[in-house]
Amino acid sequence: MGATFVVVLREGFEAALLLGIVYAYLTKIGHPESYRYVTIGGALALAASVLMGVGVTVASGPLADLGPDVIAVGVIFVAVALLTWHGWWMGRHARALRGEVHRRIDEAHARQRLWMVGLIAFTGVFREGAETVLFLWGLLTQLEDSSGWLSLLGGAAGLVGAAILGWAVFQGGRRLSIQGFFAATSVLLLFLAGGLVASGVGRLQGLGVLPAGDPLWDTSWLLDDQSTVGSLLTGLVGYRARPTALEVGGYVLYVVVAGTLFFPALVRRRARRASDVPEPAVNTQR
Amino acid sequence: MTWVRTAASRRWTLMTSVAVFGLVLTTTASAQDKATEIPLTIENNRFSPAEIKVPAGKPFTLVVTNKDGKPEEFESKELRIEKVIPAGRTANIRVRALKPGSYPFFGEFNPKTAQGRIIAE
Repeated sequence: MGATFVVVLREGFEAALLLGIVYAYLTKIGHPESYRYVTIGGALALAASVLMGVGVTVASGPLADLGPDVIAVGVIFVAVALLTWHGWWMGRHARALRGEVHRRIDEAHARQRLWMVGLIAFTGVFREGAETVLFLWGLLTQLEDSSGWLSLLGGAAGLVGAAILGWAVFQGGRRLSIQGFFAATSVLLLFLAGGLVASGVGRLQGLGVLPAGDPLWDTSWLLDDQSTVGSLLTGLVGYRARPTALEVGGYVLYVVVAGTLFFPALVRRRARRASDVPEPAVNTQR
Repeated sequence: MTWVRTAASRRWTLMTSVAVFGLVLTTTASAQDKATEIPLTIENNRFSPAEIKVPAGKPFTLVVTNKDGKPEEFESKELRIEKVIPAGRTANIRVRALKPGSYPFFGEFNPKTAQGRIIAE
């Protein structure tokens, strides 16, 4: 029971985190009436996961051998692109959102953002969705004895656990000030997306598209990425016990470049301090 | 309105790059078609053989047959491979040329029992 709980919790963790963040985001920008974009995105992803699960089960030949890998890597990089875009947007608008007057982002702006959060919800759920569907489906076919039922119970509890986590993120996020929320989620998403870049690079190395290399270091004695805590940290900040040079390079490059997009104020402040030139006017209205 | 246009063109760039990427992946993989095939069976939530010896420096294909009544996921952190194998199915997993060493793998859905490793020598 414990084993299936952990498997499902691990698979659902990232989706729950992202859903919690985007729901809270809609509340913070004053558009809770648009939750449906996230709900629809998540529901479509669930449907796509079931379809994918069926596809994997019935497909054969090169389609079955490579299709899931192509889709998995594609979803990873699309998710990175979406999260980067979202973080960049928050970075540009964090300054414009001072005070109650600006609490509600104007209608036109919000409309553009809704597709984005819907897509983030979609990729978040779809990324591990097919795997989770297949796993739970497997549990459903093993109900001959009490241990089968216990396993299913564990799996269901894992889903509930992930949902509680997402709910906690949502409630916590809602209580933050809008600047606090933007800052906290920007940091979170920056490292999460960095971890996704490392995942994508690793998968490409595994597939032989990128050259593989020896691990740069080995911290498995300290924290194995096969352990529960290790794998949760993999999802959260991209922890690897034995990362390759390309993974580390991709991660660092992403965090540095995207960091300047997510936190333009930090970059500006540093530049200003360095050159002592007055800060140029920033057009946050686009 | 310029925003709408750039967003649309960005979306196209994204879709095109995904397509190109898929193509690259397919061609890379088919170039390795002649690799040696090594059978691996999943039964009663375990891998057999649990230890696979392969020559170092040569790519190979793991032909994994799942004889259990539920799906299993072949996963190796070291090899950066994750592959779901549905109940009763066989999947081909291409593995790159390995340096001499031990590369553990496990069944993500039954990590306690489904354990094994590839020894490249």
